[in-house]
Amino acid sequence: MTAQHGVDATALRADQLFQEHRRSVMERTDRMMATLMIVQWLFAIALALVLSPYTWEGRIRSPHVHVYAAVLLGGAISSLPIFLCIKRPGWLSTRLIVASAQMLWSALLIHLSGGRIETHFHVFGSLAFLAFYRDIRVLALASLVVAADHFVRGLVWPDSVYGIANPEWWRFLEHAFWVVFEDIVLVFGCIESTKEMRLVALRRAEAELSSQREMAKSLELDRAMQELQTSQQALVRAEKLAAVGQLAASVGHELRNPLATIRNASKYLGKRITGPNAAANLNDPKVPQFIALLDREVSACTKIISDLLDFARERAPVPEPCPLRPLVEDAISILPESSVRIINDVPADLPVPSLDRDLFRQILTNLIQNGVEAIPSDRQGQVTISAEGGRSSPWRITVADNGSGIPEDAVVKIFEPLFTTKTKGTGLGLAIVAGMVKAHHGTIAVESSTGLGTRFVIELPNRASLRAA
Amino acid sequence: MRILIVDDEGSLLLTLVANLELEGFDVVGAEDACSALTLLQQQTFDLVLTDIRMPGMSGLELFRAIRRTHPTLPVIMMTAFAAETLIEQAVQEGVFAVLPKPFDIEHVVFALSRAFSRPVVLLVEDSVEAKPLAEALQAVGLTASISADHQASVVAAQQAPADVVFVNVELVDDGPALVESLLRLDASIAVIATASRAAPELFRKVAELGAFACLLKPLEPERLVHLVARARARPQTQMRGGFRHAIGGQHGTVSD
Repeated sequence: MTAQHGVDATALRADQLFQEHRRSVMERTDRMMATLMIVQWLFAIALALVLSPYTWEGRIRSPHVHVYAAVLLGGAISSLPIFLCIKRPGWLSTRLIVASAQMLWSALLIHLSGGRIETHFHVFGSLAFLAFYRDIRVLALASLVVAADHFVRGLVWPDSVYGIANPEWWRFLEHAFWVVFEDIVLVFGCIESTKEMRLVALRRAEAELSSQREMAKSLELDRAMQELQTSQQALVRAEKLAAVGQLAASVGHELRNPLATIRNASKYLGKRITGPNAAANLNDPKVPQFIALLDREVSACTKIISDLLDFARERAPVPEPCPLRPLVEDAISILPESSVRIINDVPADLPVPSLDRDLFRQILTNLIQNGVEAIPSDRQGQVTISAEGGRSSPWRITVADNGSGIPEDAVVKIFEPLFTTKTKGTGLGLAIVAGMVKAHHGTIAVESSTGLGTRFVIELPNRASLRAA
Repeated sequence: MRILIVDDEGSLLLTLVANLELEGFDVVGAEDACSALTLLQQQTFDLVLTDIRMPGMSGLELFRAIRRTHPTLPVIMMTAFAAETLIEQAVQEGVFAVLPKPFDIEHVVFALSRAFSRPVVLLVEDSVEAKPLAEALQAVGLTASISADHQASVVAAQQAPADVVFVNVELVDDGPALVESLLRLDASIAVIATASRAAPELFRKVAELGAFACLLKPLEPERLVHLVARARARPQTQMRGGFRHAIGGQHGTVSD
């Protein structure tokens, strides 16, 4: 269906191209013939002036009637085709009139040259010129005109055609034979060149169509690319939304436990202190205990929310000189109490790095808290914080625990948001730490062996040594 | 009534124990499943209330262990997670109810008192599928009985206290009337209308009367068990709200 359509379209376009080409050939030939007409006219006048008197009169050189014939007759023959070539180039009528006029020129020149046999060659030249039209009809008409002229003049005025008063009876046939001979050659040429034009047109049409197809294909490709891009963006957006949903679900679930406790505690307190014997109930040791518990659980909720906010809105660090040992001390002091020993092993004389105090304290708190939580309750555990570097090497800060370690399959995912091995926790802590370390242009790595403990190592570029270098 | 509460969240355990003691229950707390099992060996309890997600042994594993040693002991679960395979698994294995955290004390008390009454699931149905369904419910530890007509159903619901009744509204001569009499008998009964084809008129009528859910046949034991657990986990405040669940399509799911 499409192939058939393609063939039709090609043929149609080829025909159009062929017609265009033919028309341009016709017009070009028209122009050439018009020029030829003018040149012939001037040549005929010159010929009449120079040759005719001698040819016809012998000795007396005076303006002969032929001069007038050349000027007037030549003008009459030439003016219409010249006019048509200018006004109506490419028309069939134009080239038919040009053909007739050209043959009349041959007749005139033959007449002016007194029927010289050499002047008859003009007929052959003219036919050759007319063959430029590549139109058999033009050749046919021209041949007819020349035949008619020869035949009529041969009868009434043989001198004018053959230069002698009594030509042989077959003279006309001899001339006609040569004209027909040339015609055959020229017609053959016309047919061949027309065929060639058609072929060229077909090739061009095919080339055009295939380039159009290429263009369409590349447009199609462009559109496909664009669609792909759009759908990819949609996918990224959907993934982001899914991540947000996961985060919300995780945080929501995590909030339920402290909320349940708060609800229970407030219920209990409400019943205890608003009942009929409220005063006596105030001695219940659970009342102050639950009030403290409320406070703790609200803090737990706050911690979950602030973790979420820390994760959602990472702020750029504002570095300032920040001695490490006191910072570690500071971080330890805000941790909840536990039986785990926390050892600050940072040398007191360590050079002072440039850090964002608040962010880095949070990094340390999160890592130390992680270490504390990794230690099973039935074991005497410890978390050690150490640091080195600063003079000419990058900073290395290590937080190591002797807890239960992280399973191998979990180690690779440990910095991913929402990943957690604990039964409670949002899975945001280490993701936040990783983000903050990255914001300090540093790296964080983890080594763990199951049952022996885990070691987090933060490496920070040494700005001071960079500046010194 | 002695209750064993198991939750790894210390402060939640503490406050829940205190509140239930205040409500007059005899409560013992355990912070993990292992110590809960030890306590169960040493003492007798009427009910176990356990968290489902705990480090070490999960609530589901604890429930399975209890099923082996105390097959008739009702177990209620608590969870901070809305949808989880653990929960559905527990429901399909016959947990009495699953309570979502954070819950009201009244909600817990209501579920506890329901469980203490050892309620029965009643199937009002006279087709051949009734018996295998009742057996399937019994297989997961629920008590189920069958009755075939209006009067017998009301009597049965009265005698062995039924808290969930599946009524085939097409079989009984007047389905909506039976739904009405059951709810008049006890408004806390969860009446679930069943029908073999979409019967929008009947379904709408029973929903207006306060049916808990409508269910299209075929009845699958899993869906029945699921609905029973949901019905038993609902707080008292939802009782008179009436229609809570609608079943859409042949294989539609229950939705709030």
